[in-house]
Amino acid sequence: MQLTLLPQPDGLTIRVDEKRLDAAIATAFKDRVRGMIAGGGAQVTLDLRGVEFMDSSGLGAVIAIYKAMPAGRKLTLTGLTPNVERVFHLTRMDTVLTIRKSAEIPAARPEGPER
Amino acid sequence: MSVSPEPAGKRLRQPPPPRQPMFHRIFRADPATVRTALLFLRERFDGSAGDEVIAKLELALAEVLNNICEHGTRYEALRLGGRPHAPLIHLCVARHVGGIACAVTDDGRPLPSSCLDMHDLPWTGPPPQDAEAILLLPEGGFGWFLIQELTASLCYFREGRRNFLAFVVPVADPGPQAAPAPPDA
Repeated sequence: MQLTLLPQPDGLTIRVDEKRLDAAIATAFKDRVRGMIAGGGAQVTLDLRGVEFMDSSGLGAVIAIYKAMPAGRKLTLTGLTPNVERVFHLTRMDTVLTIRKSAEIPAARPEGPER
Repeated sequence: MSVSPEPAGKRLRQPPPPRQPMFHRIFRADPATVRTALLFLRERFDGSAGDEVIAKLELALAEVLNNICEHGTRYEALRLGGRPHAPLIHLCVARHVGGIACAVTDDGRPLPSSCLDMHDLPWTGPPPQDAEAILLLPEGGFGWFLIQELTASLCYFREGRRNFLAFVVPVADPGPQAAPAPPDA
């Protein structure tokens, strides 16, 4: 599985270089990301711009990662493609998770979900 | 009749222009074979309906097939070794007027009838604020909700040792009022 760890001044970005976040890799994905998050930094960004397809297994893995965030640290999702966004929207998980519309790295991070 | 020199696999995946695409595949239930089948399906159906429809088709089928992988496995009698038998799935998809019809059969364990009941989201509350509430968020239970949300005319029956599940992914936008067909339709 291809994940890229990009250190940031205030935390880290994990870029998912997989086209499909599905049942075939969901468990391994969850475990790998959780291991990477243990590395440190208050802000953790999961960059999903390369993910073209996600099913409920992938969604479940993202929720599990969110639930396992250590106290005082924040998870933000970014770069949602239309198919990925649809799953978050249909399941209303877009109201729970912090999703940043723009895939750009902002100078000042906006607070809270934008949608 | 001469045989085209191009690879048979590539040629077969693309329907002749005047026809509507069809897809049939038999495979052993496993997340990797499901992924492969869905990739073939997408290649076959791309362009036969709007991108959003094809994406919904792919998602609905992914949820159905994942369920078979996850819950359909049978185990042979312990005296015979107790080995698992992943179901053999037959998947047939055809573009019709008004929708893309899907039929999925498998020889796995029977589908509990409750799966066909109307499914609500596993979670519908306001965003949880504290750590304890966050821990209560569901990590699963979205599958049948998504299937019902994305499809119409969902029906199921069991015959002999096989599950038969059929549904349509509507091609025209069904609109916000569209609801999945009742399970006894």
